[in-house]
Amino acid sequence: MSSRVSTGARPGARFAQFKLVLLGESAVGKSSLVLRFVKDQFDDYRESTIGAAFLTQTISLDDATTVKFEIWDTAGQERYKSLAPMYYRNANCAVVVYDITQASSLDKAKSWVKELQRQANENIIIALAGNKSDLVAEHPDKRAITTADAEAYAREAGLLFFETSAKTAENVRELFTAIARKLPLEQAGNRGMRANPRQGVDLRPEAPGTQGGGACNC
Amino acid sequence: MATSSIQTSPASKMNSTPGAFPSTPASAEAPSPSVVSSQLSLSQAVHQRRAEYTRSRRIKVKVGTWNVASLSGTEKDVGGWFVDGKGVSESLSGLDLKDDGEPRSNGHNGSPDIESVASQEERRSKKRSTIPKNDPGFVPGGDEIGLYVLGLQEIVDISSVAEALRPYSDPHPGRKWKQAVAESLPHGYQRVAEQQLIGLFLVIYASSEIAPTISSVSTTSVGTGLGGYMGNKGAVTARIVLGETTRMVFVNCHLTAGVEKGNLERRNWDASQILQRTKFDPVYDGGGVMEEFGEGIGDEDFAFWFGDLNYRLESMPGEDVRRLLMLHTRNEYGAHGAQQPSSKKIENELAKPESLSFSRNQEAANRPSENDTSSTHISVGNASDPSVASSITVLPSQESLDPASDPASLQTTLSSLLAHDQLHSQMRSRKAFHDGWREGIIDFLPTYKYDVGSVGMFDSSEKQRGPSWCDRILYRTRKDRLDYDQKVRDEEMARKKDNEMKLQGVVDAVTDESVLFDYDPETDGADNENNAVNEQSPDPEFMTTKAGFEDKLSLDYYKSHQRVLSSDHKPLDAVFTLDYDAVDLEMKARIHQEVARELDRAENEGRPVVTIVVDHQKETDSTHTDSSSPKFEGVDFGHVKYDHVKTRSVTIANTGRVPATVGFVDRSIESGRPGGVAPPWLKIDFDRPPDNKNSNPGALQEHTLQPGDAVNVELTLHVDDLDLVRRLGDKVETLEDVLVLRIHNGRDYFLPLRGDWLQSAFGRSIEKLVRIPEGGVRRWQHQRPDGSSHGDEGVKWSAPREVFRLTEAIEDLVERALAQWGMTGDADNAPWDKDVGWPFRGWLMEGKQRAMLKETVREGLDSDQPFSETFPPEIDSLQRLEAVAETLVQFLESLEDGIVTEALWLELEKGMLEREKARKTLSEEDERMWILDTLSNAPAHSVSFTFVTFMLARVGNEVAPWNIPLECGKAEGVPAQVAPRMKRPEVNAAYAGIFADAMIRLPAASKGKERKASETRRKHVVEVFLKATLDDGS
Repeated sequence: MSSRVSTGARPGARFAQFKLVLLGESAVGKSSLVLRFVKDQFDDYRESTIGAAFLTQTISLDDATTVKFEIWDTAGQERYKSLAPMYYRNANCAVVVYDITQASSLDKAKSWVKELQRQANENIIIALAGNKSDLVAEHPDKRAITTADAEAYAREAGLLFFETSAKTAENVRELFTAIARKLPLEQAGNRGMRANPRQGVDLRPEAPGTQGGGACNC
Repeated sequence: MATSSIQTSPASKMNSTPGAFPSTPASAEAPSPSVVSSQLSLSQAVHQRRAEYTRSRRIKVKVGTWNVASLSGTEKDVGGWFVDGKGVSESLSGLDLKDDGEPRSNGHNGSPDIESVASQEERRSKKRSTIPKNDPGFVPGGDEIGLYVLGLQEIVDISSVAEALRPYSDPHPGRKWKQAVAESLPHGYQRVAEQQLIGLFLVIYASSEIAPTISSVSTTSVGTGLGGYMGNKGAVTARIVLGETTRMVFVNCHLTAGVEKGNLERRNWDASQILQRTKFDPVYDGGGVMEEFGEGIGDEDFAFWFGDLNYRLESMPGEDVRRLLMLHTRNEYGAHGAQQPSSKKIENELAKPESLSFSRNQEAANRPSENDTSSTHISVGNASDPSVASSITVLPSQESLDPASDPASLQTTLSSLLAHDQLHSQMRSRKAFHDGWREGIIDFLPTYKYDVGSVGMFDSSEKQRGPSWCDRILYRTRKDRLDYDQKVRDEEMARKKDNEMKLQGVVDAVTDESVLFDYDPETDGADNENNAVNEQSPDPEFMTTKAGFEDKLSLDYYKSHQRVLSSDHKPLDAVFTLDYDAVDLEMKARIHQEVARELDRAENEGRPVVTIVVDHQKETDSTHTDSSSPKFEGVDFGHVKYDHVKTRSVTIANTGRVPATVGFVDRSIESGRPGGVAPPWLKIDFDRPPDNKNSNPGALQEHTLQPGDAVNVELTLHVDDLDLVRRLGDKVETLEDVLVLRIHNGRDYFLPLRGDWLQSAFGRSIEKLVRIPEGGVRRWQHQRPDGSSHGDEGVKWSAPREVFRLTEAIEDLVERALAQWGMTGDADNAPWDKDVGWPFRGWLMEGKQRAMLKETVREGLDSDQPFSETFPPEIDSLQRLEAVAETLVQFLESLEDGIVTEALWLELEKGMLEREKARKTLSEEDERMWILDTLSNAPAHSVSFTFVTFMLARVGNEVAPWNIPLECGKAEGVPAQVAPRMKRPEVNAAYAGIFADAMIRLPAASKGKERKASETRRKHVVEVFLKATLDDGS
């Protein structure tokens, strides 16, 4: 086993790995946001997610800081609601998505925020994303939730807030970058580093038995 | 030699190829062949592309050294000579000798603007700089220099015992010096390293452009003074990495002083100690990882060793050297300066009787005979490269008068003195600084020892110390060191070969003409000595650094600053041009992003992918009346009935390019619901054993599928838990759930399950059953779970219709079955002959067929259809009887409260106990009356009890009638029927046993003897009803 300590390209360089979960009503664009963020693509027609898609994406905050997101994109349909804790239980951050053209989707988002604040990791960073801003750009009358209202709610609940468009990419990278900047890099800095990728912290949902993960070598 | 850690780390090998997977199938032990990008793999992948983000860079490095003899005022001069390059005496440092020695500003040469030595010495004060005024500076400085490295000695008085034995370094003097240097430096220079050991001080400044590219700074001290460890002598050392590529080491030392032979040996020992004991922190390599081992001196690409090395001129009387040199320095004062104290001293001394053993005249006389200057000059470089040697010295044939051959020239004097330099002789004899160290050409006066305040008066104190080049700047490239190592190895090889030859026979070796190589260590070694000291190579080549980059170092200037007056040593500096491959941070950031993106892509695309196909079955009964969408994407079990097994199958196929390890994982647990992989009513079976066959049954089962491979999963739904049946009946639970199939290192798939529960009469209470409307329990199918709108809440029946219907059917069927047996059966083998409990046990039909028929019976009950219609016509009476009879027993067992509830039983038992105590017995008739009377408080229970016991008596009568005399049977010659009739009490006992258990609920608490007694009483309660001749009673 390598005995090298990895603490960065030079003192101060950091690499941190975080688990991020996407929550929100069905068809608000969770998977599209992830697709835009990870592959910089957009599909007009996407099948609804049945399960929890798992993707990773690395972003550099500056030349010394690299953040890797492990993204769990969950199904939004009501019948899978009871499974959400599997994904947010160990999450470091969450993106709660609503559709700015659907008033009910913000209510749903609020209930997710409530649940996260009650049940999830107490230090979880939550971002609220009002998706489909492209629809409103074309037809302002389609907007069902004003930016000001959502912003006020986000401020009150202590959330990051962005109006995004997975279609035009507006604010998508900004959203994830803002989250990365808010994450506790100092603490996670060490535990994200591992000399052997087979070791280290498994930020995926806990599973007994042979599921990988275990001791952190920090 | 440390090898690059990048090639030795197993982890790096694994990650060196993004997207690569082990070619062998993943075993159960290592099921996840993942390409997880960690910091390690990311930075290593970036490192592999370093050629794309390095570009060649050129900086000037200035190294300065000065022994300041703890004199105050010295710090006022440091900016002038070290940063601005001032204070070089052109006449005393051969400035006019070098082609590239053009004055840096016009008019410098002999410019009247420059302050005269006389005026400079006159105005000297400790409070002001002694640097000559208007000196434009000869040595490059200011912002031309990327890296300033300054080594000072004796910034505190190390001759004071208190200072020498100090356990720590006083930071105040260092601060004073830092301030002095920082004030002189152009704007933006940053201090990147510093180290102090008592009087030794090393500080490095870098320009604003270079400073951010410096990493892995490590500084350390080695004391070699008193006792071999104290810090009054020793070295302070710094290691830096430039541009993430180039490792540089700077050693500022102060070695043991003195002219004795012992002092010389101690200096060599000091140097070897510094080499041995200097250890730096590990370097962060370009891959962003700290190397395993710290480095010492020798692991770097470029080393600079400077300071007061204290080597002296040997075999030369100091007095002679003084006189010789002052012949040169006297000229500095000129006509105006003749009255200067220094000048006077010099003239006085020179006026003393001639005692030079090595006079200028002698020297001049010797010169012409030595055409080859190399004997008094330091030879250069490699013996195998004569061009290097020749290029150093200027050939006498040149038109201009060669200063080296001009007997009166300074250079001639210096060359003759340098032949006696201890450092050079130690290098030649490989006692110190022999392993690749170089030095520039010394064309300046010895730097030690002068009268403070004087340009050219050597120590006029009583001691009159012999001038020496105590202060030096040596340097060495990685290649120099490696070349030296190679040379030593070659010599060793040669020596070995020579010894082998000698062993073979010297005579042979000598006479054999084919011998190409004859090495004589005595003579050959002597030859080599002259070549041992390296001087600067005029045209250095690019060399490969430890990290594999191409770098080049050349020395541009090596000068003393003769006109600095504040110390008894003259300061000395060297300017180098360094060409190196430096990492461009912007380009690196771009490559970093590209690599990260590629790794992410490889990681995301390399994830295992499976396709799940649910084999939808055509279900005649799965016509959902509710609004469920027809395209339900999960597993639909259709209608689900009590104790009815249903299966569905699901195929999981690996449709990706890498092996996929799949397994169902624990679903999220809502409070109050059991967790686990599946709900209790569902069983999951893979059509092959799991990866880890030996794991305990509780462990999650995983299956690894190769690409293209598929596994079939059978899902079996079976609701037979009465508690669940009740909850389903009460609609507080549904047959809906979601299985979570996890693909290791991939996504989770949700597999929704759905079943449509059909209401059942089983498992309910008598109170509920009597409310079931006409048409059966299914009428409750679409009522709401809270039960608030139970169509009609009223009691419909005096007893559950199910009990009535089942008992009635049994009474009806028993006659037919017996008749049927009489017609077709084997008279000697009647089922009731084999088991007295038949038809309530001892069935003829096999379990599977019974299970099927019982479903038919239950269907008849729950949908309120006549059994005659629900039974398939081919099922005969005997089979029907067995199915109905078993159903009745199970139905009674399933009742939530029981026909005789716990409360009713306690009341019955109380009466029985009282009679037992009183040793009173009732007649059978009275006892039956008493029992029915006791039960009459619960009419539905009482009626049900009567139905069952009446039925049992009837069945008993059919199977084993009382009224057929034994003799009669015998006489008529039907012995086969005789035996059962004799068994009527046994039949009663069997029936009573079965039904007492099914109908009467005993308190769960009762145990042991007490319970046994209760069970006996319970059986008696039923049995007493079977003894009656009910034909009469009905």
